[in-house]
Amino acid sequence: MNIKIAVIQFPGSNCDLDTLHVLNNVISNGVEAELIWHNNFKESNYDGCVLPGGFSFGDYLRSGIIAAHSPALDQARVMLKDGRPIIGICNGFQILTEAQFLPGALLQNDSLKFICKWVNIKVENNKTAFSNKMKKDQILNIPIAHGEGRYFTDNLKELVENNQIVFRYVNNRGEITKEANPNGSMESIAGVCNLEQNCLGLMPHPERASELILSPKETTHGLLFFDSMIEFIKKKGAHNEKG
Amino acid sequence: MRKVKTKDTELEVDLTESEVKYIKDFLKREPTTTELGMLDIMWSEHCSYKSSRPKLKQFEDAEQNYDYVLAGPGQDAGVIDIGDGYCLSFRIESHNHPSAIEPYHGAMTGIGGIIRDVLCMGVRPIALLDPLRFGPLKNNPHSQWLFKYVVKGIADYGNCTGIPTIGGEVEFDKSFENNCLVNVACIGFGPIEDFKHAPSRADYPGDYLVLMGGSTGRDGIHGVTFASRTLTEMSEADRPAVQIGDPFTKKMIIEATLEAIKTGYVRGCKDLGGGGISCALSELTGNGGTGAEIDISKIFTREPGMNSFEIMLSESQERMAFVVQSEGLEKVLDVFKKFEISHAVIGKTDDSKILKIFDGNNLVVNLTSEALAHSPVIQREEKKPSYIDELLTQKTPDLTIEIDKVIYTLIGSENICSKEWIYRQYDHEVGVRSVVKCGDGDSGVLRLIGTNKFLAASVGVNSKHSFLDPYNGAKGGLVEVSGNVIANGAKPRAMVNCCNFGNPEKPESYWFFSQAVQGMADFCRVMRIPVIGGNVSFYNEDDVSHTTIKPTPTIMIVGIIEGEKNIVTLPFKKSGNEILIIGDTKAELGGSEYNSVVYNIEGGNPPKVDENQVKRTWNFLFELYDKHFVKANHDVNKGGFVITVAEMCFKNNFGADLDLTNCFDNSLRNDEVLFSESVGRFIIESEPKDYEKILKIAKKNNVTVKKIGILISSPEINITGIKNSKDIKLDLNKMKNLYDITIPNIMEI
Amino acid sequence: MDNSEFIVEVVLENKPAARDPTGETIKRDLLAKKGYNSITSVRSGHYLRIYVKASNQEEAQVIVNKMCNDLRIFNPITQSFNILKVSDKKS
Repeated sequence: MNIKIAVIQFPGSNCDLDTLHVLNNVISNGVEAELIWHNNFKESNYDGCVLPGGFSFGDYLRSGIIAAHSPALDQARVMLKDGRPIIGICNGFQILTEAQFLPGALLQNDSLKFICKWVNIKVENNKTAFSNKMKKDQILNIPIAHGEGRYFTDNLKELVENNQIVFRYVNNRGEITKEANPNGSMESIAGVCNLEQNCLGLMPHPERASELILSPKETTHGLLFFDSMIEFIKKKGAHNEKG
Repeated sequence: MRKVKTKDTELEVDLTESEVKYIKDFLKREPTTTELGMLDIMWSEHCSYKSSRPKLKQFEDAEQNYDYVLAGPGQDAGVIDIGDGYCLSFRIESHNHPSAIEPYHGAMTGIGGIIRDVLCMGVRPIALLDPLRFGPLKNNPHSQWLFKYVVKGIADYGNCTGIPTIGGEVEFDKSFENNCLVNVACIGFGPIEDFKHAPSRADYPGDYLVLMGGSTGRDGIHGVTFASRTLTEMSEADRPAVQIGDPFTKKMIIEATLEAIKTGYVRGCKDLGGGGISCALSELTGNGGTGAEIDISKIFTREPGMNSFEIMLSESQERMAFVVQSEGLEKVLDVFKKFEISHAVIGKTDDSKILKIFDGNNLVVNLTSEALAHSPVIQREEKKPSYIDELLTQKTPDLTIEIDKVIYTLIGSENICSKEWIYRQYDHEVGVRSVVKCGDGDSGVLRLIGTNKFLAASVGVNSKHSFLDPYNGAKGGLVEVSGNVIANGAKPRAMVNCCNFGNPEKPESYWFFSQAVQGMADFCRVMRIPVIGGNVSFYNEDDVSHTTIKPTPTIMIVGIIEGEKNIVTLPFKKSGNEILIIGDTKAELGGSEYNSVVYNIEGGNPPKVDENQVKRTWNFLFELYDKHFVKANHDVNKGGFVITVAEMCFKNNFGADLDLTNCFDNSLRNDEVLFSESVGRFIIESEPKDYEKILKIAKKNNVTVKKIGILISSPEINITGIKNSKDIKLDLNKMKNLYDITIPNIMEI
Repeated sequence: MDNSEFIVEVVLENKPAARDPTGETIKRDLLAKKGYNSITSVRSGHYLRIYVKASNQEEAQVIVNKMCNDLRIFNPITQSFNILKVSDKKS
């Protein structure tokens, strides 16, 4: 089965080529990922899509807000509704919250500084389109690099009830502590999903944790995200016209 | 500055009387205001290098003498062939004066400028490095302010454009208090095919000239002449000479440029930096032996009513000039349209060798392309400052303080402590190339996708050593920076340098520059390292407090590692392994951190370089690498070798049992043994079983190797075998804590 | 009907629950470094000056209100949005 994934490029996206590299060169599982300029993105051609990291539109006004108004998001909304997998990484997460695909918002880090380092996140929900290959409570090693990663929601109760909190920042022992929370996110939340669990947003970068050579921890937990997506699509059946 | 009459009016310029006469003589007429303005900028120190060219001639011609050098000094950035059809391009530049006035935007535009220089060689910028200098931070809010905002400027620009900052260096010294140094370096990578499409020359008549990028405004008019004068009390009012960078536009420019080059119709590319359009056009045509006709009314401006003088001299950021083959013009313009970048076709090249600039129907500039690019040279006087000889004889007091106290003080001193506060703010992983990350190696190591090769890059120099002996200091910088890439397993391939000095019109200041250049030229020639680019920043002096910076000839070395298994990293790996010191430790406390931190002394006997010894040491190391005998490597620099050992212990929480008996020259004092900063030394980790073989290879190469200890798993460094002294016990956790907290304690309230 | 131009000045602030680390840091900086003990609080925000063609000030205000809500110029989860002032643009 030939799976087609769109990696949507906005003006200012930075991690598009990185993500494309992992999907096409590192994962060997019948995946064909394509870089598509935001104005040209058509949902009917793809089984899933990635909104990569970066500084779309320079983060002007607010991270992700201008990209959220792009026609690409109207197209992606169709995918959201019919249950196809959508992942927003870092800036992609910010875009998805501004476009209201996902609940909550991302604010400036507590420290007011950009932070680039490897962290641990714990799997709280392993039933989503991007976490089905993970174990519940599994600790993943993955890097962050952001200035606006502090997660905030005015509706925490609903998130908890609906199991929409997918990842939390933890220390080496799996404990949720202030020190392990790099940016002051509410409840140490690192990633959330929508109600239907086919759309995920997270601040850490799985595409940077998919190859041993780049990992200071000798793990490649980033691959689990993409493997889960492939598994999800296979179970659903292909959507793309040639699939 | 002086007032000069032109065809239309009077203009204030920095040109000397003789330069103005020279201009009138070869033009055989009065220059127009715009022409004079252009010449004022093109012939400023910053653009023309008139004081430094005579000395820089000492460097070997890189393109002629090294077959893998594809572009040498004089082009926007140096380029080397690394094999497999790929090339690396890199350059280092200074942005000192603007950053001293407005650190955030100064640093931003510095990064913006260096990215453009590499981009216009046709390759993708993939790494940044930043060697910086400030006054000491403690109790100095001004230095803290400069430091905080320079780092933020570099971070914001690099992060937004998605180019990782993989290395850097910072020195704190009183001499930089009013003249901070912000040097920035960029490395690009791409196929040689693409580089061939982007020379900094317009070689063919009949090609279109296209301006692209940000709009042209009144920013920075006279910015380059600002850089060619010392900072004075007037500087606060000079604020308009600092421009505002726009990394988002830059990111679009990067993608659009690379895509335009891939069309195959681009025949030349140049970024607009100091001197704006004047500089770019004159260099493109001057270097290419062509002329051009330009209509500046076609240029998109951001402010209404700009006249030709303002347009030609504007230094608005984020602008590029392209030379495009006429058949491909539409294709190239389509690329710019896709990325929604402003662009305009401003003219065409021809074979006249004259630059004709029209403003609508008015001819405002009519100069030979050569005139602008080839300023007259000035021969400067040089004189060794009288205080140096006395400084060299300064003696370090006898060591009466307890050694462990000294080490704890050194590990937490500003020039040695952890710089993590800085590099956590840089996205050093974007691009998924970063294999050896900040803190894990002496240099940043990136993989080069599409090949089996890795690049290793490092920057720096020791300004305290260079102050006492600029000739050996510059050489020492080369030894150390090359040592950094070698410590990660790379062979140094090429060098670029950024010379930061005082006022060249003062013979004592110029002497430092002359000596440093001589040192670099001599070393590189013997060691076969091509110099593929350089930058000179003079006038780093403060007229009000009469201080000049310590001479800072910053070096950058890029090396190549062939294959992943040949990468070596800094942290110690296994308890029970042995710690060896390679190289000779000498009585060279001059300019050391020990002298300055403990006794506040600047003088003494600084480290000297013996090229032959350095060559032998490097060959020896590469033989060890071939046999995979080296498990960890860190070159010895500030603070001496005990600091080096501690830094290697930190990451994986190792400790060390050191026995220094018979390891060092008996004539050395204890402090000379422990804290000397003799260059060209390394600390390596090796397995006990390989020791005898290592000694054999050392003997063959005539290199000094001594086993000084073994790795243990408890966090302590125990030192025995120090002459007439009791054993020393250092608490590694205490050392790590002091190492980690110095900068955060000062910078975070 | 005369279409004049008006200036609508708007400020976007973080809601209390979302915290305002920038404002907090400025206040801490002032007290810790310069001894401005009389400063009790600092709030930071985003200021926008919007030029609108409309027939009167009320209409200008309505247009800006709608725009800021429809286009999410402010993020309703984390920010509050206030019109500070509406004035005539003097040509």
